[in-house]
Amino acid sequence: MSLPSLVPLIGIADVVIGLSLGSRLFLIAVGLSLIFGVLGVLNFAHGGFYMLGAYVTLAVVTSVVDNFWLAAVAGALAVGVVGAVIEFAAIRRLYDRVDADLDQLIVTFGFVLVIHETVRFVWGSGSYSIDPPDVFNFSVSLGGSTFSAYRLVVIGLAVAVLASLWLFITRTYFGSLVRGTSSDREMAAMLGVDVPRLYTGVFFLGSVLAGLGGALSSPLQSTSPALGDQVIIDAFIVVVIGGLGSMSGAFVGAMLIGMMQSLGPQFISAGSIAIPFLAMVIVLLIRPEGLFGGIGE
Amino acid sequence: MVSLNSDVGNKSNRTGDVETNSETRSSVDRRRFLQAAGAGATVALAGCSGGGGDGGPVTLGATYILSGFASLYGEEAERGIEFAQSEINDNGGIDGRDVEVVVRDTEASADTAIQQIRSLVQEDDVDGLFGLDSSGVAQAVAPQVAQLQMPFMITHAATPFVTSPEGEHEDSVGNGYVFRDSNSLAQDIYGAARTAEELDATEWATIGPDYAFGYETWDYFQAFCDGLGVEAEFTAEQFPALATSDYTPFISSILDADPDAVLTPLWGADLTTFIGQAEDAGWFDQIDHTLFSVGMGTDYPSEGSPLPEGEYASTRYDPFVPDTETNNSFREAYYEEYGSLPTYNAEGAYRALHLYKQAIESAGSTEADAIVEEFTGMEHSGPVGDYELSETNQATVASVWGTVTYDEEWESNVLDPVDRYDAGPDVLSEALGDSDLPTGI
Repeated sequence: MSLPSLVPLIGIADVVIGLSLGSRLFLIAVGLSLIFGVLGVLNFAHGGFYMLGAYVTLAVVTSVVDNFWLAAVAGALAVGVVGAVIEFAAIRRLYDRVDADLDQLIVTFGFVLVIHETVRFVWGSGSYSIDPPDVFNFSVSLGGSTFSAYRLVVIGLAVAVLASLWLFITRTYFGSLVRGTSSDREMAAMLGVDVPRLYTGVFFLGSVLAGLGGALSSPLQSTSPALGDQVIIDAFIVVVIGGLGSMSGAFVGAMLIGMMQSLGPQFISAGSIAIPFLAMVIVLLIRPEGLFGGIGE
Repeated sequence: MVSLNSDVGNKSNRTGDVETNSETRSSVDRRRFLQAAGAGATVALAGCSGGGGDGGPVTLGATYILSGFASLYGEEAERGIEFAQSEINDNGGIDGRDVEVVVRDTEASADTAIQQIRSLVQEDDVDGLFGLDSSGVAQAVAPQVAQLQMPFMITHAATPFVTSPEGEHEDSVGNGYVFRDSNSLAQDIYGAARTAEELDATEWATIGPDYAFGYETWDYFQAFCDGLGVEAEFTAEQFPALATSDYTPFISSILDADPDAVLTPLWGADLTTFIGQAEDAGWFDQIDHTLFSVGMGTDYPSEGSPLPEGEYASTRYDPFVPDTETNNSFREAYYEEYGSLPTYNAEGAYRALHLYKQAIESAGSTEADAIVEEFTGMEHSGPVGDYELSETNQATVASVWGTVTYDEEWESNVLDPVDRYDAGPDVLSEALGDSDLPTGI
């Protein structure tokens, strides 16, 4: 780590970049948090889902249809299907085990490696990047700083996803089933809720959100097999800070970490990557349950 | 394929042939006789015969990054190897023996590189080693090579500490078995400081990878600027981790500091990612000059963001300079074969095979110590020009910096105009002034 650099000069671009990084993190962390909140599964493979979403989007936009939005939807849905299959074929079998938590962790970590190596096999180990959709492929100059207009789109979409999820969980019948099952699985089952199918549905939704995060982020980053490993650590930090199982916590935590990632380099020239970890340690010491808690909050 | 042996190289080879042939032949004859006798005895005992021995190929082991963010470097090195191999084998091989090369992937990891090198020596029984793309990896490998007592010709990794004798500096790991045919970071950055001397820029910043190479580049640049009396202030520095997928926070931080010029040693896919994101952030409109110290290594074959025209870049080898028959014919034949200009990593690997050929033919042996003895102080000539291996086993090649310009004829960026700075031991020593950094040459 180097000595602190100059007096920090925070521009509008730094804030926009921070919020867009936070938005990207929110999309992955909220799915992670949703799956944990309802199923109690800490899904290590979520970073792999995010990476897969980016790859499928890249593949579709370059080889199938030259439309970023369609490709992003395809990326998100493809990852949703992969997630649902994994839940149905593997994770479902572990819910009733004595050491279910540990087994789930190991199995989902196994899928991290499977997804990573599959991506390497199909797309190679190099990195890819694509331009933002044409209509947003321009730079915005504001207050002396410049940033990609597409970043504003990502921020807007993250807010829209938060609002939609909140409405979905609190105002729909399926949402009430999710909340009920999350509170008491046995009681929900006794009342006639098809819990296994609901679990698969929630895992599908969480996976779609991770895939969407990867898809929407693909024009803002280089996509390589290492992408999932990088982002899952940040996502875990987000849910620990925000509170496991909390959507609003995931949003606030993601924006905090995004801002730290954006402004960190202003304060130290190397090692700013450690700042979110420090924040996590502080939150764990002061408020172990995170800043927020409970599904739907 | 066109034969590309250099004029000077041919002369020295021819001279060497005259001087050493009788000695070589007689030793080979003795060895062949003993071998034949031994083989006969083996046949008599076991009823079967095997090949190999000195009549078999010369086997060299190479280690490059063949996967991950910098795999393009390994791919380029493989081209250089393939090119040199056909050229040598089509023209009589090494003392009549074909040359074979076993190429292994280091995955840019020191641990993997060490494993591969041990395996090449102990399992593949190679006669010599070459390669390496990363300074961090080279730093870890150098002591292992000495332990294995096997010559290693580095063709890309640039840290000066591997050609700085152990004890000269706390990081020095140079030893008698490690050589380098490409230019070192010190030679390269000396050229950067000479370029800075000519530019209308006083405030300088850097953005480099968060490991030895990034920090060493910045340390040497500051030391050379001080030593050469360049009027420069060093106002900002950023060192993102290797394989960062989003450089925008670091880019934004540099832009906020608003320097006149930036020196960046980012490389591989990291550089491609950086350039695309820097363009989006208005970097090249705001920063007057950006100096890319490693950019040309992947620019020719890359499909990603090319280096922006009008900025400055260095190269360890330029396909147009020196304007010699050797370089021109190498460039033409390489382009015909692969459809892109030869990068410095291809040329460095290409030359490593020729250096082994010269050393083995001159020594008349593939024994490691005999090759090491030949390498020490050896004079050679290749596409890069004439040079020798210095007292510390570093090639006295020039530092080459120029302006990035798109060339229609080659459908590629080239350096034009381009400057070659002599970067021998005395020049570097004087330019480093009072700094305690080693010249590595």
